[in-house]
Amino acid sequence: MKMPGSRSISARLMWMNLLVSGTVLILAVIAFFSYDLVSYRQSLIGSLETSAQIVGTNSVSALLFDDQQSATTTLSALGDSPDVQAAMLVTNDGAPFAEYRRPGVTQAVPTPALTRGSVDEEWVKGSHVMLARRIIFQGKPEGTVYIVAELKETTQRARQYLMIALAVLLICMGTGLLISSTARKTLVRPLVALAETARRVSRERDYSVRAEAPPDKDEVAVLVEAFNEMLVQIQARDTALNRGREELEVRVQERTAALRAANRELEAFSYTVAHDLRGPLDAVQGMVYLLNGMEKEAREGERKEILEQLRLSTLGMAGLIDDLLNLSRASTASLKRQPVELTTLVRGIAEDLQRREPQRRVEFRIETIPAVVADEGLMRVALDNLIRNAWKYTSRHEAARIEFGAVNRRGETVYYVKDDGAGFDPKLSDQLFQPFHRLHGRGEFPGTGIGLATVQRILARHGGRIWAEGTVEQGATFWFTLKSGAAASG
Amino acid sequence: MAAMLPGMESLAPAASAQRASQDQVEAAYLYNFGKFVRWPDGGHGPLQICVAGQDAFEQTVTKLTSGEQIDGRALQVRMVERPELTVGCSILFVGSPDRAHLEPWLAATAGKPVLTVGDGADFLDRGGMIQFVQVEDHVRFSVNLNAANRCGVELSSELLKVAVRVTGRPGKGGAQ
Repeated sequence: MKMPGSRSISARLMWMNLLVSGTVLILAVIAFFSYDLVSYRQSLIGSLETSAQIVGTNSVSALLFDDQQSATTTLSALGDSPDVQAAMLVTNDGAPFAEYRRPGVTQAVPTPALTRGSVDEEWVKGSHVMLARRIIFQGKPEGTVYIVAELKETTQRARQYLMIALAVLLICMGTGLLISSTARKTLVRPLVALAETARRVSRERDYSVRAEAPPDKDEVAVLVEAFNEMLVQIQARDTALNRGREELEVRVQERTAALRAANRELEAFSYTVAHDLRGPLDAVQGMVYLLNGMEKEAREGERKEILEQLRLSTLGMAGLIDDLLNLSRASTASLKRQPVELTTLVRGIAEDLQRREPQRRVEFRIETIPAVVADEGLMRVALDNLIRNAWKYTSRHEAARIEFGAVNRRGETVYYVKDDGAGFDPKLSDQLFQPFHRLHGRGEFPGTGIGLATVQRILARHGGRIWAEGTVEQGATFWFTLKSGAAASG
Repeated sequence: MAAMLPGMESLAPAASAQRASQDQVEAAYLYNFGKFVRWPDGGHGPLQICVAGQDAFEQTVTKLTSGEQIDGRALQVRMVERPELTVGCSILFVGSPDRAHLEPWLAATAGKPVLTVGDGADFLDRGGMIQFVQVEDHVRFSVNLNAANRCGVELSSELLKVAVRVTGRPGKGGAQ
């Protein structure tokens, strides 16, 4: 394991195990040893009492008949008990009568007098126990036995307990190692793998890696699962972020290009507007100059002709300015949506045209279609442009037909204005709706080149679009749609 | 005996300083014998310690045992002047001055449950049960078990343990 964290976790597990088992073991050993010590001491004292009693009983005759040898023999029997270090038989007046000392014991037995009335007493000092017992025979005290014993086995027992505790502790350590190695497999290894994965993610910013899930469905597995889930989300966001950034870049480039184009168009537009206004203005100035230089007696007819020319020039200028205003309004005016009868609008326009040029032989076919929701003023401008367009480009034909109607194409209502006039080259249909792009010469058909651009903007404002089909001298059809759902109910 | 126990040598002067006269020791022993003896009749009434015609010793014993009891029996010490008067005695002491007259005393108690104690050199040989002997400066005693058995007097093994010499064997009902 190269990761320091893993070692510390497994080591911690092992130490925890050792700490717990060691503490329990030590406490248990202390408890057992204390109990053992107490019971051992008690049993020793009990056996010493018995010994003292036996020795006392057996020493009665020796005491009564002053037989120190017999008493010494009796006392020496205590040597069979390994704990007894020394013993002393004392007469009633406190005089030593007989003594026993284990070989090697140099200290004489102290013989403190028993308190009056007590039969036996005991003293415990360290590992030494001294017991005194009065010898009673036939109801009379005849002497006292003192026995000094050493709790020799105490230290021996303590050593044994220590050895056992050490052995068990070693076993515990072994078991702890085993357990921790098992725990490393089942618990630590997934954690280590998880940590390695997390490190890799943070170092390489690679969100495609996944931590390996452990086989057991424990908390670690949940952790790994949650981590992987987090990675999935991060990866998704990362991808989305990158895509968004790229898209944004593309969009910015597109917008920049579009803005540039629009700018260029605007410059061209301004130039064209200035140029187109300049033409009639030059004409007006020239004619005003002519009028000024004209003598009073000049012919009335001549003057009238010049004035008529003047009027036409200003009329053209006014038309151009009106168209420009319409275009501007189509782009900026706020929409007032309401039900609009397109059929009525188209009829009004057609009647107006026929009244102005009654000599033209134009057949109108106007379909009755349901009302739509739209801005009436703008729709009037749009339809006016389209119908006038058709009127204008059929002017070279002796008899013409202009149709207005609607068809249903794939669930969408498509309106059309169709004529059988001059038509146009289908290849140039894209340029139809650009301002000041005229497909026909000014001498051929009069016009400003702004009308269709205005129509397109109006329809775009309504969420619709317009396109045209046409063939040279075969007529043209302008198709347009309004925003779906624009049809007014009723 | 003290020579056998080097560690005990220091005790000897103290013991000798308090040692009573031989009579007193013998009187105490006479009394103590009673504690290790069982008589066939079990014993009832005061236990009589008889001293054969010896006035001084009788007084020593009387003085020593006044107020004492053995196995709950009161003690009665009396001097007997003639062997016929030994009836009722449990212990009979026959001192050395009466050695010449030993025979009648032992004859008088023969077959009777009387513990006979004496200090004559041939007391045991003549049929006595316990004989005081002088060992160095200690008063000790020897036991003739056969004599005791003949009279049905049981001597405790504790007593035999401290005897200098035991002749004969314990009887079938030997006291423990």
